[in-house]
Amino acid sequence: MELRQQLGAAFSDAGGAAPLLEVKEITKDFPGQRALDQVSMTLRRGEIHALLGENGAGKSTLIKIITGVYHATAGQILVDGQVVHFNHPHAAQAAGIAVVHQHGNLVPSLTVQENLMLGERLPRRVGVFIHWGAVRERARRLLQRVGLSIDPTALVSALRPDEIAMVSIAKAIATDAKIIILDEPTTALLPDEVATLFAQMRRLASDGHGFLYVSHRLSEVFAIADRATVLRDGKHVWACADRSGLRRDDVVAAIVGKEKELATVEGAPPSQVLGAELLAVTELSSARVNEVSFTLKVGEIVGLAGLPGSGAEETLNLIYGRDAQSGGTIAVSGVIARFSSPRAAVAAGLALVPKERLAEAAMPGFSVRENVSLPSLTRFITDPILRVIKRGKERALVQHVVARLNVKTVSLESKIESLSGGNQQKAILARWLGTNAKIYLLNSPTAAVDVGAKTEIYRLLKDIAAAGAAVLFTSTEVEEFPRLCNRVLVFRAGRVVAELHGSDVTEAQILRLAVGVEEQQKVA
Amino acid sequence: MQKKGGDVIGWLSRYATILFLLLLVIGFSFARPEVFATQLNLLNVLNQASILLIISSGLTVCLVMGLFDLSIASMATLGGYLVCKLLVDQGENPHLWLTLTGVLIFAGAVGVLNGLLVSYLGISAFIETLAMGSIITGAILGFSQSRTILGGIPESFLVLGQQATLGIPNPVIIMVMVALVLWVMLEHTQNGRNLYAIGGNMEAARLSGIPVKRYALLALGISAACAALGGIVAAANLGAGRPQGVGDTYLLNAFAAVFIGASTLRPGQFHIFGTFIGVLMIGVISNGLSIMGVETYWQYIVQGVLLIFAMFGAGMVVMRRK
Repeated sequence: MELRQQLGAAFSDAGGAAPLLEVKEITKDFPGQRALDQVSMTLRRGEIHALLGENGAGKSTLIKIITGVYHATAGQILVDGQVVHFNHPHAAQAAGIAVVHQHGNLVPSLTVQENLMLGERLPRRVGVFIHWGAVRERARRLLQRVGLSIDPTALVSALRPDEIAMVSIAKAIATDAKIIILDEPTTALLPDEVATLFAQMRRLASDGHGFLYVSHRLSEVFAIADRATVLRDGKHVWACADRSGLRRDDVVAAIVGKEKELATVEGAPPSQVLGAELLAVTELSSARVNEVSFTLKVGEIVGLAGLPGSGAEETLNLIYGRDAQSGGTIAVSGVIARFSSPRAAVAAGLALVPKERLAEAAMPGFSVRENVSLPSLTRFITDPILRVIKRGKERALVQHVVARLNVKTVSLESKIESLSGGNQQKAILARWLGTNAKIYLLNSPTAAVDVGAKTEIYRLLKDIAAAGAAVLFTSTEVEEFPRLCNRVLVFRAGRVVAELHGSDVTEAQILRLAVGVEEQQKVA
Repeated sequence: MQKKGGDVIGWLSRYATILFLLLLVIGFSFARPEVFATQLNLLNVLNQASILLIISSGLTVCLVMGLFDLSIASMATLGGYLVCKLLVDQGENPHLWLTLTGVLIFAGAVGVLNGLLVSYLGISAFIETLAMGSIITGAILGFSQSRTILGGIPESFLVLGQQATLGIPNPVIIMVMVALVLWVMLEHTQNGRNLYAIGGNMEAARLSGIPVKRYALLALGISAACAALGGIVAAANLGAGRPQGVGDTYLLNAFAAVFIGASTLRPGQFHIFGTFIGVLMIGVISNGLSIMGVETYWQYIVQGVLLIFAMFGAGMVVMRRK
């Protein structure tokens, strides 16, 4: 069937029919930054086309331009050979383009049929009452087309993740979308569910739909995609003409970039004289982490690398007491500790810089001073009962740590949100210098931070480690590990599958291990 | 740094309520100088506002950490009735201070129970306090058999609501004390800062090592005790222990005052001084309008319109931030 599908695709192209979607030399400038630089690609009828690249490579920007969220600075978009100008997402939708997002675009508290018909005029009786029978019938037909046999009156919140993904696709089809963009649709899915999703995508593709598929999970890309386009730093760097050109090593090399790989070897941090053992984790387990063991010494920066959901991020949260531990032990400076809450972890000298700065770390509406001193207030109180804060001491400490981390702010009383992203993040980091934390857990500390601030944060982290602390680091951007870490543990499916040291810490090596190249080769 | 138009809006959202309060005072003073702008009447405004501020200050603490307390109405009724009942039952020479302390501790304990249910069972505070309010209302009605206590209330208790010390009405003194203590707590202590942190970003507070759940007990406990104290002063002022309806008049006004406060000086943040401005505004409007001979129903309408305007002002700034 796959062969026929490819023949079909080839035939329609050979027959001279215009591609479903054609992106021609799209450039997008943001103030001070070129997000996309003359990117071109085509999506054929009946094709599943992977759009690949690291975070910040320009995938999201390209999708937003295709779907009419952003305006391109230059270049053209053609749908069915016709030049289109989308100045609003509705226009893109009307032209038959639909996006299915990572977290879905369904309302969980409504039923499947209500979701499928959201925003449409519902069939009615006497022009007033909703004709639920007709609604159900239409929903059933749509579900049938995506091969889903679920009750249209079921609540979306009661569905499995793969069913939710399929309902999202059915909704896209309901708007007569020919071009369906899937943005990380498998993040929440189990392997069986991924297989179901892929089978249905394949079937829909053979009906003439075209899929643009964005994913970090390369093994899945190789299982489903007909072709791929790779973006790096806003530029189109690689594409293949057909499925036979879709080779893993080429794709990984294109995503990572050769010159970068060289640069990272040069920039690898020198191995240092390490101090006493600060943290020892033994067979740590939870719902999503499986018997993880490692140690962390004074002066070390250790990376926990892995794809989303691999257990790297989960291990950080587990150590900090955010998630429930089901087994194993954590020892801080040789003393066994069991953190049932972040409070206990903070008391033991741990510090967490969480992934979502706005949702989990910053307190908008409050001053830099209040944001920084939050976990260390106990150091400035008059007595343990009234707990009146000595403002002078508080200010002095905040002044000190803010200066040490070079946080640029007009005054300590400026609101945290008036700072740039990088300076906000430095302020969050400064918070923990105030508690004299010994073990720093960092989750993507340079997300949404500009390049200059990134370099500065790396330097600060090295300073912090050198000053008698230790850092555990994870990031969604693989390129950060070689720049920062002495040692990297690579996670896959909740386990540590490899430990890389010194010059072995390269982006390509980490990616290969995280994706599981050897397994993939076995399958092939 | 900002655009000029933005500055005007920013300034207005901070000072509009205070400006409006001043305009109201000036307006009423010019309209009825011989009645409104007298020392006696202004003290009277404060006196009338005192019970509202006592209740609103406690509510402010709750809202700072983002919890709604709707049980304050019934808690005020409970405080007033229970003190009268206990004092009357003790006959001659009742232990006034012991009784007052006991009732406040009891009310605080009910508030702590609210906190426990909200924190550890995960019930929304809005609904939980509404339910608790209903339970308290029912309990007082049953316990009192709907009878108001009129006779036998000791004079030593009534002094709290009806007399003055050094020319200042006692309710005003109590009000100042409560507001001052809670102001110090919210602005100058670690507990206050942690409450603000929880209200500002609960997850950030939790990750900073603050025991978020325990603070719900503190906040709802303080709110309940303040509401009961407000009810006690009201009972002393009235000279009666009514088993129903005492607190109801204060519920909407307390929320109005606290939210007007959140659009004063620090837009989007609840704070005691703002609440004080809100309470004064409500007090001046109701006093001024009655002096002008405006019918009561207008006062409700004016208050509603005012609240909407205050919210609009605060909302503008929050929207601009996003």
